[in-house]
Amino acid sequence: MVLQSSLKNCFQLSCILQVPKAGFRSTASGGLIIQSTSNDVYQNLAVEDWIHDHMNLEKRQVLFLWRNSPAVVIGRHQNPWQECNLRLLRQKNIKLARRRSGGGTVYHDLGNINLTFFTTRKKHERMENLKLVVKALKALRPQLDVHVTDRYDILLDRQYKISGTAAKLGRTAAYHHCTLLCSTDKFVLSSVLKSPYKGLKSNATPSVPASVKNLFEEDPSLTCEVLLDAIAEEYATQHQIDHHINLINPADETVLPGINNKAKELQTWEWVYGKTPKFNVSTHFNIAYKDSVLDVKVDMDVKHGRIEVCNIDLPQQWLPPALCSELVKSLTGNKFCPNETTVLVTTLLRTCPQDGDLQSRWNLLCENMKMLM
Amino acid sequence: MTGNLSQVFRALGLFGLKKFGSASAAPVQHSYRSARKFTDKHEWISVENSIGTVGISNFAQEALGDVVYCSLPEIGTKLSKHDEFGALESVKAASELYSPLSGEVTEINDALADNPGLVNKSCYQDGWLIKMTVENPAELDELMNEDAYEKYIKSIED
Repeated sequence: MVLQSSLKNCFQLSCILQVPKAGFRSTASGGLIIQSTSNDVYQNLAVEDWIHDHMNLEKRQVLFLWRNSPAVVIGRHQNPWQECNLRLLRQKNIKLARRRSGGGTVYHDLGNINLTFFTTRKKHERMENLKLVVKALKALRPQLDVHVTDRYDILLDRQYKISGTAAKLGRTAAYHHCTLLCSTDKFVLSSVLKSPYKGLKSNATPSVPASVKNLFEEDPSLTCEVLLDAIAEEYATQHQIDHHINLINPADETVLPGINNKAKELQTWEWVYGKTPKFNVSTHFNIAYKDSVLDVKVDMDVKHGRIEVCNIDLPQQWLPPALCSELVKSLTGNKFCPNETTVLVTTLLRTCPQDGDLQSRWNLLCENMKMLM
Repeated sequence: MTGNLSQVFRALGLFGLKKFGSASAAPVQHSYRSARKFTDKHEWISVENSIGTVGISNFAQEALGDVVYCSLPEIGTKLSKHDEFGALESVKAASELYSPLSGEVTEINDALADNPGLVNKSCYQDGWLIKMTVENPAELDELMNEDAYEKYIKSIED
């Protein structure tokens, strides 16, 4: 019944061996606190996968602490086109990641703390974990008005969301992870989490927008370090272990064999974009050319991130019909991706007569098509 | 009335054979529907005409809460027993689904795309997840029948 038991047996986290025997007591309250030395969202998500797949959580639960450099993280069954401003992400070099747990879209930067609570499936208790976090916050600052909602959010002053939650339930193990806003750039957060997309129809799980606030706005002495420490302290107390944080390097194959493959998989186009539930784009755009403005209607079905069906409705003869149908034919089956489309349209353009006017029109149409992706 | 026994049962609106003796005691006829069998991960499978229909149990759907999304495999996907074949999302938790048997996916329940709540409302009927071939019928014997599953649930609830 136990998956990959041989790997579980040979799990070695060399720094664990230095943890005093208290960490190895065979009580259910055993625990381990790990903190990542990396700020790369893919590496950190890979550590979660690794722990979930390989660690035996029966005797010892794990708390994983991590922070990421700017990244948008969407839930397992979400649509990135619907959830965030992809063009802005690409412009600002903000990474896009899809996690394996459910829930909605969040923005991470170094001012946000991520906490992952690993347990057996049976002992998976989100509410208890969040109450632990609230307890830690109140121990730091008793006046802080923080509480857990029944949606598993943590609210500050009854109105501002400071933490969101998601979970994954596997065969024998489960994890619950949540964010905690300490000093995140709220301006970037709100602009990247706003999608300008119109005309998208999908049954992907939607996010529920919320007003957010940073804990540091409430009290400037609440830095990430202070908060991480307080949460680790409370976890250690509740699990009757030493308040010792074990640092872990997510790139270290000797400690986490197979980790780099996991990180690679999380970065593939197939995972990030290709796992988007099937959706339909039904929209139009205006092209201003010389003295006229034309309306172009586009209808596309996208499945596994690829264009399954494509219809472009252009005014007659604005472009040679043969060229238009070639465009539609080439787009069909291709990734719903601006880079792939650039390659495709450049290739097609070479088959055209060297007519400046034609090329301008073609470029206008194709630029607009790419903006949809 | 002519026709075989299972046609008679169906005509009388009787599903499943557990009330009339175990499936294995009945003569082997392709049109028999086998009694529902359960895995310890709360999936069920019921085989008819060599095609298994897979879903999750009432215990599982209650524990999950309202299902908001069903992630199911493509038709033609080959699964081994215990393979992860998809996930159900409910209350921000993605819960993995494991194949009860080895076989190939022949059909997926399209109704779940627009109505994932069917898994909660009708987990044994309209909320079925996938249909698959049964590559190795002996694997079916390794699963729990309904009585054994009921006992199993009681034991884990304690």
